[in-house]
Amino acid sequence: MGNKDVHVLRGIDLLVSKGDFLSIMGPSGSGKSTLLHILGCLDRPAYGEYLLDGRNMFAGSDRELSRFRAEHIGFVFQSFHLLPMLNVFENVALPFQYSGSVSLREQKRRVKEVIRQVGLENRMLHKPAELSGGEMQRTAIARAIVMNPGILLADEPTGNLDSETGEHILEIFKKYNHAGGTVIMITHDREVAAHARSCMYIKDGTIAVPSV
Amino acid sequence: MQFHPFKFISICSLSFRNLLQHRLRSALSILGIVCGTMSVIAMICIGEGARQKTVAQIEQLGIRNIYIKALPLSETQKQKAGDRLSPGLHTGDAERIEKGCPYVSETACLKEIRASVMGLNADISPPIAAVSSSYLSVLNLSLYQGRFIRDLDIQNKNPVCVLGYRIAEKTGAKVHIGEWLRIENKIFTVVGILRQTAQKREENAAISVRNCNEMIFVPINMPDMEKDLTEIIVQAEHADRVVLSGKMTERIMEVSHHQVDDYQMLVPLELLHQAQKTRRIFTVVLSAIAGISLLVGGIGIMNIMLATVSERTKEIGIRRAVGAAKTDIVFQFLIESVILTSLGGTAGVVVGIGAVRLLAFMAEWDTVINLFSVILPLSMSVLAGVFFGLYPAWQAACMDPVSALRHE
Repeated sequence: MGNKDVHVLRGIDLLVSKGDFLSIMGPSGSGKSTLLHILGCLDRPAYGEYLLDGRNMFAGSDRELSRFRAEHIGFVFQSFHLLPMLNVFENVALPFQYSGSVSLREQKRRVKEVIRQVGLENRMLHKPAELSGGEMQRTAIARAIVMNPGILLADEPTGNLDSETGEHILEIFKKYNHAGGTVIMITHDREVAAHARSCMYIKDGTIAVPSV
Repeated sequence: MQFHPFKFISICSLSFRNLLQHRLRSALSILGIVCGTMSVIAMICIGEGARQKTVAQIEQLGIRNIYIKALPLSETQKQKAGDRLSPGLHTGDAERIEKGCPYVSETACLKEIRASVMGLNADISPPIAAVSSSYLSVLNLSLYQGRFIRDLDIQNKNPVCVLGYRIAEKTGAKVHIGEWLRIENKIFTVVGILRQTAQKREENAAISVRNCNEMIFVPINMPDMEKDLTEIIVQAEHADRVVLSGKMTERIMEVSHHQVDDYQMLVPLELLHQAQKTRRIFTVVLSAIAGISLLVGGIGIMNIMLATVSERTKEIGIRRAVGAAKTDIVFQFLIESVILTSLGGTAGVVVGIGAVRLLAFMAEWDTVINLFSVILPLSMSVLAGVFFGLYPAWQAACMDPVSALRHE
C-alpha cells in the first residue's frame, strides 16, 4: 500500500431525473461503488459538485448530511449489511433512530407496513442468522424504504442471490419505482440491468456508454 | 442531537444487549471500577466515622475548655518543686486564672479521692471526685434529680454528695435524694443524681473522658482537698477565645508554679485541629489510592471499548449509512461505556457497604454510611465512563463510513 492518490472517478457528468430507474454497469474497480457512495452522501468527492434537488450536498455539516441520508436516501448492499444482534423488525426500524421526531406508534405502523410490502410479516422477530439470503435482502430493502426516502441506491443487490430470488428483489425495486421512487442500481449482470429504464456503463472512472 | 426519551431508552437497551453478549468480558473489564468505587466508599465511611468519633469525644470534653492536669512527679522533680515553692495544682490557681484572664468565664476544680464507699454492693468501688460547684456547668452535665453541689456546701463544709446515674442505678435505686451514704468514715447526704451521659468506652489517645455515670461527687471543702488537685478546667467565654485564653493561662501557670512542670495543659480544640490535620493526610492518601484504582479501572474500560469499537467497525458503517451522524456514534459508545462503569460503580458500592459493615462489626470500627458516601463513588464511576469512553467513541465516530462498511 502506498500513499499515492488514486483518482477513482474522473469527470463524470451525470444527470438523474426524479422517478428514474438507472442501472450502472462496469467492471470491478471501475468506480461504480464510489459513484454510488457519493450519490448517497456517504463519501465526499475530492473535486466536483453534486446537486440534489438543486442543493449542493457537500456544503452542509456532517449532521445535516447524515440527517438527509436518514430521511431521503435508502441503501441496499450486496451483502445485506444487517445488524446480526437485531431482529427483522428492529433492523428495519433502525433509520428512525437517526431521523426527526416520528411518533413511536407511527414508526411501528410504518415498519410493519414495509415488512408486509416485502413479504416478511412471518419473519418479523427472527434474527438475520435465521433468514435466507433473499429474506435478508428483503429486510435490507424494507430498511431502505421505511423512511420513504425517494432515492434508493442499490449496490449489486442480487449479487449474492440465486436468479429466482434476484427476480423477486427486482420486482420490489420496480414496484418502488412505479410508486414514484428513484432507483439507482449497480450490477454486473446484463439481465438484471435490463430491468432498469436506463443503463449506464462506467469504465476506468468515466462514463463509457451514456445512459439511453 | 434531538433528545427523544424513547430513542434514548432504545439506545440504552441496545447497549445493554451488546454488553450482555460478552458477559465475561464486560464483568472482567469492570473489576477495576468495582475496586475503585469500593475503596472510595470505604475511605469515606471510615474517615467520616473516625471524624465523628473524634468530634463527639472532644465535644464531650468541651470545645471551650482548657484542661490543666496534674502530672505525677519523680523524686528529683519533687525536690525541685519544693525548692521553687511550687505547691502543685491548687484552687488558688483557678482563682488566679479567673482573675487574670479576661476571656475566662468559669473554672472548675476536681480532685480524685481514693476512698471506699460503705453500704454498697461489694463489687462496686466507684471513683470519688471532690469538685467545685461550677463543674456541672463547665462540663455541660445535667441533673436527673435533686441539685448539684453548691458554693454554700463548700463554704459550710456540708457533707453532701451527688451520684452518677449508673451508680444510682447500681445501688438498686435504694439510695434516693436524702439518703445517707458512708464514704470512709463520714456520712454524706445524697442531694442529687446526674442525668445519664452518652459515654463511649474508648479513650482518646491524648486525653481520657471521665465517665460521670460511674462517679460520686462530693464538695471540695476539706482543707487538704484544696491542694494537689487532679485537674482544673478553665472555660473560655467563646470558642474563638480558647487559644488566646490557653496562652494566658499557660503564662499564669508558669509564673505561679515558678516554671516547675508539675502540670500539663490540654486544649480539646487544639486536639480537634490536630485530629483534623491527621485526618486530612489520611484522606489524601486514601483519595490517591482510590484515584489510582479508578484510573486503572478506567484504562481497563478504555481498552475494552477500543476493542469493541474495532470489532464493530462494520456496524458503525451500517449505522452511518442509514443516517447516523458522528455525534450519534459518539453517543452510542459513550452510553455503553457509562453503562459499564455505572454497573461497576453500583457493584462497588454494594460490596463496599458490605465491607464497611463487616469491618464495623468485626473490628468494631466506627463507620458512617451516608448519602454522600454512596453518591460520590457512583458519580465518580459515571464520570470515569464518560472520560475513558470518550476517546474510543470519538475514534468510532471518525471512521470513514465507506471503509467501515467494507470491513470484514
